[in-house]
Amino acid sequence: DSLSRLFARCGCVQSVDICEKPGEKKEKLTSKGGGFQVAYVVFRKPAGVQAAKALSREGPLLISTESHPVKTGISKWIASYAASVVDQEELKAEVDAYMQDYDKKIAEEEAKAAKEEGVPDEDGWVKVTRKGRKPGLPRTEAANLRVLEREKRKRARKELLNFYAWQHRETKREHIAQLRKKFEEDKQRIALMRAQRKFRPY
Amino acid sequence: MPGPKQELGTGISQAEMPCSGSVRKRALPGESWAAAGTSGQGITLLPLAKIEELLKEVTLKETKKKKIDAFLHEINSLLSAIPETPETELTDQAWLPEGVKVPFLQVPFSVKGRFRFLSPAELKVVGSYLLGTCIKPEINVDVAVTMPREIFQDKDNLNQRYHRKRALYLAHIAQHLSKEKLFGSVKFAYMNSNHLKPILLLRPQGKDEKMVTVRLHACPAPGLFKPSRFYPSKNNVRTAWFMEQSTPKEGAPEPPTPHYNNSIICDTVLLSHLHFLSSAAADFPGMKDGLALLKVWLNQRQLSKGLGCFSGFLVSMLVAYLLMKRKIVKMMSGYQVLRSTLQFLATTDLSVMGISLAKDVDASLPVLDDFHQAFEVVFVDPSGLVNLCADMTASKYHQVQFEAKRSMEILDDRTVDGFQVLLMTTKPMLRAFDHVFHLKHVSKLQGACKKMQLLNELMDRGGNYVAAALPFVVSLLARGLAGGALLVTHSLPQISEWPIDAEPPKHKDVGPLTFGLLFVPEFAAGTLEKGPQADHPEALDFRTFWGEKSELRRFQDGSICEAVVWQADTVCQKRLIPEQIVRHLLKLHMDIPESSICYTGALLESVIRTGQEASGTGEEAMVSVVFPPIPMKPIYSFHTRIRTKHLLLPSEEKPCPAYIAPLKIICHMEGSGQWPQDKEAIKRIKAAFHLQLAELLQQQHQLVCRPAVTHTDVYKDGYVFRLQVAYHREPLILKEVVTPEGMLKYQDTEESRQLELETLHLPYLTSSLHGLQQQHPAFGSTCRLAKRWVSAQLLSDNISEECVDLLVAFLFLHPAPFTPPSSPQVGFLRFLDLLATFDWKNNPLIVNLNAGLTDADLTEIKNKFVAARSRLPIMFIATPKDQWSSMWTQERPSAQILQRLLVLASESLRALEEQLMDPLNSQDVKMVFRPPLDFYDVLIHLNPNQIPRHLESVDRPLKSFSRGVVKNSTAVKILFPVVDYDPVQCYLQELRDAFSDLALFFYDKHGGEVIAVLWKPLSFQPQPFKVSSMKGRMVTTLNNELVCIPNVEAILEDFEVLGEGLVKSIEARTEKWTI
Repeated sequence: DSLSRLFARCGCVQSVDICEKPGEKKEKLTSKGGGFQVAYVVFRKPAGVQAAKALSREGPLLISTESHPVKTGISKWIASYAASVVDQEELKAEVDAYMQDYDKKIAEEEAKAAKEEGVPDEDGWVKVTRKGRKPGLPRTEAANLRVLEREKRKRARKELLNFYAWQHRETKREHIAQLRKKFEEDKQRIALMRAQRKFRPY
Repeated sequence: MPGPKQELGTGISQAEMPCSGSVRKRALPGESWAAAGTSGQGITLLPLAKIEELLKEVTLKETKKKKIDAFLHEINSLLSAIPETPETELTDQAWLPEGVKVPFLQVPFSVKGRFRFLSPAELKVVGSYLLGTCIKPEINVDVAVTMPREIFQDKDNLNQRYHRKRALYLAHIAQHLSKEKLFGSVKFAYMNSNHLKPILLLRPQGKDEKMVTVRLHACPAPGLFKPSRFYPSKNNVRTAWFMEQSTPKEGAPEPPTPHYNNSIICDTVLLSHLHFLSSAAADFPGMKDGLALLKVWLNQRQLSKGLGCFSGFLVSMLVAYLLMKRKIVKMMSGYQVLRSTLQFLATTDLSVMGISLAKDVDASLPVLDDFHQAFEVVFVDPSGLVNLCADMTASKYHQVQFEAKRSMEILDDRTVDGFQVLLMTTKPMLRAFDHVFHLKHVSKLQGACKKMQLLNELMDRGGNYVAAALPFVVSLLARGLAGGALLVTHSLPQISEWPIDAEPPKHKDVGPLTFGLLFVPEFAAGTLEKGPQADHPEALDFRTFWGEKSELRRFQDGSICEAVVWQADTVCQKRLIPEQIVRHLLKLHMDIPESSICYTGALLESVIRTGQEASGTGEEAMVSVVFPPIPMKPIYSFHTRIRTKHLLLPSEEKPCPAYIAPLKIICHMEGSGQWPQDKEAIKRIKAAFHLQLAELLQQQHQLVCRPAVTHTDVYKDGYVFRLQVAYHREPLILKEVVTPEGMLKYQDTEESRQLELETLHLPYLTSSLHGLQQQHPAFGSTCRLAKRWVSAQLLSDNISEECVDLLVAFLFLHPAPFTPPSSPQVGFLRFLDLLATFDWKNNPLIVNLNAGLTDADLTEIKNKFVAARSRLPIMFIATPKDQWSSMWTQERPSAQILQRLLVLASESLRALEEQLMDPLNSQDVKMVFRPPLDFYDVLIHLNPNQIPRHLESVDRPLKSFSRGVVKNSTAVKILFPVVDYDPVQCYLQELRDAFSDLALFFYDKHGGEVIAVLWKPLSFQPQPFKVSSMKGRMVTTLNNELVCIPNVEAILEDFEVLGEGLVKSIEARTEKWTI
């Protein structure tokens, strides 16, 4: 607001967009007002841009003036605390309105889904949903993983581990190798602790 | 290594170890250490190797041994060259030159007998050096100097004549040796601080001075005294002489002087003890290791120094005893020796059932009962004459026993790293005992001796009133505190060495005497001590014990009993009842004035003045309520000041209202398919719930409520509760992502994680901690102290409260080697110690809440931790519900902050312990709660007017602004107070939003008056010009290039503008940096 007032002297201001970083073209207005931000001032006419460019030589522009002060410090926080106090009636009305809308929307969607149930699309495919007579698996990651897991277990059951002599030898060898590895690891850890003087009791 | 299986108990089962036997055997000895630091599947050499490393660290190296041997040879030749002196009266000490004083308190001075110096008959090294069991840090070599027979006359055993001669002998040696260049220092000391036994300390010249101390003991020629004169029931100090009366009183029997006798007889057996020990240590390599471990164990518990200590020599004799009794066999390893010895100590009470090393029972020798009558703790040496534990008090032995028991528990507990806990952790009194108090002036004990009529004991102890009175003081306290105290113990009086030209230290030079009290957790429960019924004979005894505090009371069951009632209203005061008891008893029975007792039980508690101990009250009406934070903050209620509409608002002109922290309550909605599946819709539903809840509470319970979109605030009895409705599926809905293929995936988002933390994990954690609080009443206060300290050091925004909670919970759940703290102060000290010493880089901190983790889980966590170290947060805390993510420390603290925290913790701990252990100075314990500010670059001073929590600050402001007083109004129509309004926090938020990439902001949220700012050094380096990084920078030219540097002046001005009305002044400390 104050920005558009400020630049009004250069020409008619159409809108002011504020974002966190330059170049971001997201349409959401930053809700939290802290920190440094970038503002895009859109003028009605190109002449405004020219005028704004010429401005910089005339010294800094003041945002906070006598007539339109920008609240900072205590007064700002008090105002925001006061703003955080909500009017119950208003809130209630808003909630009710939203929920009615929402219910309506959901109902519409459901009605639409029910209409499409079992109707093949132009390629002749029928979409399987949870609602139908034969609900399919839900398409979630967890379900997929479950299926994979079951497959794996099935395969593992078929495999024989201690059947051949070489398998037996292999496991033994692996075990010893593991022990050796652990021994080495422990030695290293001890060396590390010694380096850190972990063994000086006092 | 045959058959030590029964010793080692349940370890690795056979099934886990199908492979070679050799590996298994090697793993055995250290197996019980195996718990921590091991790598899971059982077999590891780590524990064993740790012990070996420790032994390497503490034992003497061969090269040093050679040096020491050479040094000893030189001493030998020097000693035999000392000139002899003509015979003089004992009291005529004019022949001694100026530069040396007799190392003995000659009270009374006059004594018969004649003395001359003759060259020593024999020089022998005795003690641990020869056995190879002496360990660092103090390498002592004991040398026995045998005084030739010709020095002595008849009846030298009487009236300290022997002691005087010994002292003169040493003085003469000292005087000659002090002229030699060989020695770095020649000093006197008391052996184990026993003033009846002076010794001469010799240290080599130059840089080896620290290496070794040679202790010269003068001892009589063998066969000089008849042993029967020194039986514990015999008298060797005449009352008339001691009282300096000319004629002995007729008829009165002379009292026995067992301690005096012991002090002579133990000089005669030095050599035989050496032979005894060396025969025990022969072909027993494990003994050497075991003794080294035991000595480290004793040292860490501060039991091995001072009068009546459990010295290294004593423990060697104990191991020899166990060997004799076949409790230990020569095949055992060092670890097994340690374990068996601790087991023996834990189960045997030497103050009731003494033990003796004497093999053949000679009918003429005194029996154990004689010893028990004379001494508190009995351990008789091989000769059957000397009590090795003569100076030890029963309470000291009980402490040793307690420690041994505790250590055995730790060894059996596989979840604790026994090695670290038993041998590497020191247990100073302040951290080990719940309450510690000092007797500032031990000379007051003189009066106590008089009052208790301890003349005989004084005579026996050669006038040492501290040693004479100590057992009585301790037993008095133990009886008085019997209800709550687990252990009452005292510090060992210690007298340091002194130069040879100084007078020997007096008894009062032992400095303040410290007593430690260990309590059962429930000790703070009652204020009343019920005695026997009024008409019972014990009643009189009870009355005399408690004095005028005892009064008759009628109890509910109709009985009329003697009882003592202590004044205590709050929990905090109840914790201090022991102080009242101690002060009262010492005054009543010992004539010790209150002013000379310095009680440091709860000095710190003033920092966390709690108005009320808050707890979730008055919410009985609600169903399925989870109370989150066990309220940790002092809570102040609010009094109306300004009214606008129906509630209160802060105003500009008046000081800002006192801060009210809302207590959060989370209500879970019931799961139902009816609830909407959309984020926005759920928000509305919750808002509707909040409105409805507020309405219902207002109507049905007449509570004042204020609903908002995200919560409903409820005011009741001075507290504000913040009701939040939560829906358990909401985090899931927030996580939902639909992939392009139409698959539903769950992905953690910032929002969902936050919500999960708040509604799921926090309530769980809180309820677990609440359970802990029920078990350990000191938990809450310890948490508060810890948090207060963290925030006083301005770091509270950099470490989450839950993280501090968990750290404190760790202290209570895994207290080894201590017991769980029963007072906030000791808890806080251990918290600082934990912070300062825990190795965050290499170890996860596992807080086993509700014992929810099994052994297997623990090892798994440790292994995964090692594997994934680099990806985990710097401070990794695992709990049963949160084994892998350490959610409370994920974002903060950063490595730098943690480092700073560690430094601060160790410094605070040091300063605090110094203050608490030094009763003579004024104790300003709040010092550690005042942050050092010289470290920061900019200080923003705030206007106290606008700090809502000003009253919570460490140094409570003398006068603060009226922010209203506690008003527990039950009136229905009251105005809703200002809740959760803290301008300073708003200010900090804005500062961080704007300048977080340039500087760090630190603030004590409990009423600090200063915001400290630290520039980030990286951001001060000139950077190339870029539009996106122009925040707070200005363009300059450097080497003809356009660069940006922070525009500090403008930033400082911004600080002021942003905090208009709140900022008083900004102090830029430009000495560290330039604009």
